[in-house]
Amino acid sequence: MGFKRKRNDKEGDDDAGEEVREVSHTVKKSHVLPSSIKNKDQRSAVYAKIKQEKKRDKIKKTRARDAAEKKALELGEELPPKKVPRTIENTRELDETVCKPDDEELFAGHDADEFSSIIKRDSIPKILITTCRFNSTRGPAFISELLSVIPNAHYFKRGTYDLKKIVEYANNKDFTSIVVVHTNRREPDALVIIALPEGPTAHFKLSKLVLRKDIKGHGNPTGHTPELILNNFTTRLGNRVGRMIHSLFPQNPNFKGRRVVTFHNQRDFIFFRHHRYIFEQKETKQSDTKGKKVKEAKDEKSTFKGKTIARLQECGPRFTLKLRSLQHGTFDTKGGEYEWVHKAEMDTSRRRFFL
Amino acid sequence: MPRSSTVECGGCPPFRALSFDVLGLIKVIEARGGQQGNTPKIVERWGEPDASRCIVAVSINDRQNNPLVAVGRKNGEIELLSATNGDRRAAVIAEGGAIASMHLFKKEQSELSSRSCTLLTCTINGKAMLRSIEITNSSSDSNSTDDPSTTWNVCSAGTILCSSVDGNEKYALFGGKGVELNMWDLEKRDKNWSAKSPPKNNLDIFTPTWFTSAAFLDKDDHRKVVVGTNSHQVRLYDISAQRRPVISVDFRESPIKAVIGDLDGNTIYFGTGSGDLASVDMRTGKILGCFVGKCSGSIRSIVRHPEFPVIASCGLDGYLRVWDLKSRDLLSAVFLKQQLTNVVLDTNFSGEEPTSAAANSSPNDANAVMENQDEEDTLGPVKRKKSSKDNKQSKKHRKSKKKLEEEDDD
Repeated sequence: MGFKRKRNDKEGDDDAGEEVREVSHTVKKSHVLPSSIKNKDQRSAVYAKIKQEKKRDKIKKTRARDAAEKKALELGEELPPKKVPRTIENTRELDETVCKPDDEELFAGHDADEFSSIIKRDSIPKILITTCRFNSTRGPAFISELLSVIPNAHYFKRGTYDLKKIVEYANNKDFTSIVVVHTNRREPDALVIIALPEGPTAHFKLSKLVLRKDIKGHGNPTGHTPELILNNFTTRLGNRVGRMIHSLFPQNPNFKGRRVVTFHNQRDFIFFRHHRYIFEQKETKQSDTKGKKVKEAKDEKSTFKGKTIARLQECGPRFTLKLRSLQHGTFDTKGGEYEWVHKAEMDTSRRRFFL
Repeated sequence: MPRSSTVECGGCPPFRALSFDVLGLIKVIEARGGQQGNTPKIVERWGEPDASRCIVAVSINDRQNNPLVAVGRKNGEIELLSATNGDRRAAVIAEGGAIASMHLFKKEQSELSSRSCTLLTCTINGKAMLRSIEITNSSSDSNSTDDPSTTWNVCSAGTILCSSVDGNEKYALFGGKGVELNMWDLEKRDKNWSAKSPPKNNLDIFTPTWFTSAAFLDKDDHRKVVVGTNSHQVRLYDISAQRRPVISVDFRESPIKAVIGDLDGNTIYFGTGSGDLASVDMRTGKILGCFVGKCSGSIRSIVRHPEFPVIASCGLDGYLRVWDLKSRDLLSAVFLKQQLTNVVLDTNFSGEEPTSAAANSSPNDANAVMENQDEEDTLGPVKRKKSSKDNKQSKKHRKSKKKLEEEDDD
């Protein structure tokens, strides 16, 4: 719409000197929506014209922008500011719970919370992984991959034990967290993480699970302790969830293993990825790939020598988490107090995020 | 375009609230009366963040001069603070377990001077203690003397989770996990009533006793008691009628965490473990309605303002929320960063003290406040408002007086 209006203005300016009748005619014509024309030939003609004009306009704009940039480069001036597209994330609703870096209460709270002993490396994380009562097909496969992702994780068969009993058992055996994979219709669909001994319980929805064998060109992870990347956990709640995930992994990554585990939060969805990275000398890559252009490469070699690029290889699994609730204390559905529960009434806008 | 998520503030009446959190901080929140300046703001913060000083129990004595707040901490320390400026007046170390609840007596006993006050504390293993604490006016040293205090055991087993003292401060109520509700006469120190658990239901299932909150329904009537249980029930006990509950109301599926009675003696307000807040008419046991407003964390404490029709609630989501009672709308929400454990209202706060200009300046800025106080005399409209309010109040008084007279005539 905005574009159309602009065009009208232009036309109005151009035709200002001409007869009034003509002006009114052109304006009227441009107002007509192609969809309101009943004759197909006419409609398509009008539509094509509009489309062409749009395209021309766009090209003109990009050219002007490029020219301005080039000019600025030549003159050594500052480049014109790049336009940032408006996305849902950067137009997020103002949230007062977003953590500020100079907040002493936040850090005091961090020091006092349930995960601080692990994060300060006073204790080593030890994870118990179990399932819901009925577990088959993709569930066990997912758990075997989780065991390879999380170091010092132990799988225990669920049997018919109550989760509260398992919590008790894990407390006695000095586990620091419990991860419960819930399966529905032979497909893992929820993840419960319980911090021990008294920590919060987070309940996640699990979706978009892709196992290692389904990832093309996947790698197999080594036994090194992974590096952990937590992205975008900005609010108080996000911080807490992030720290909870943080406390699942050992705090001494082995950088020789070049293994990275990423939890990336975007619009309240937490994306899990597991990669291995490698640094490659660019020259060797060139000689490998460009068999024909060896001569050219030889000339360039002198300039590109020593430059390295990083390559990623995904070694699954790949899944997405969404927080449903965060419970105060360990798992207790009947008498539990919630620190945060998602309720339908909180979804007032698509630009409102909680993590 | 992004909409701002700040709640629409529909004219919050002037109030002053103190919030207490898990890091042992006390924050003062004030809302000024007036057209612009009615958004509640954090005015002061008392104490330094320290997790071992987590506040577990609170009681306020909001008398006209020198109001006091009693604060029970996780490390067993009981402090008496001035509610106006947070000065520490006295401190005692409590022995015998963590504090479950406390009550600071409002009426002054004749033999005690105004320099001491009486405090009822109860630990989670059922040791109730009445002690009088002498107040030292100097804030620096707190050499309080623990007078011969009286201790008694409320229960032999189980944990005390809630207690309440009635309006005349003669009776106290205790209940908890595995502890049936019992009422004690504070003067004679004997148990004058205890509840009996409700019978098994039609499936022959017995729900174990687990009271999570208790309150007296009416200020002057110690016979009617409202409690909330862990099995999402709100019960009304009438001690003159029977030992089993008179009415019990089921509400959703999470435990009731806070209960408070209204001034009229019929309506109660309660909050649950999943952040629902609702009101029930206790004559019929019907739910009047829920307070809807994006409240996502367990509600730990509710207070009713004695004059204005508002309640304030706080909980684990770190927000202090103020609700209108008639429309059940959210008036305002203040983010206080930590998980909150308690909230109390300072009822003597009138809101007229600083001028409307205070709304524009940051409340933390001490200088600005000082300036405002200087300007205070010059500004007219605020004063007018005050007078109008006074008129209203006096009208009310007159009305009530008339009523009384009529009743007398009858």
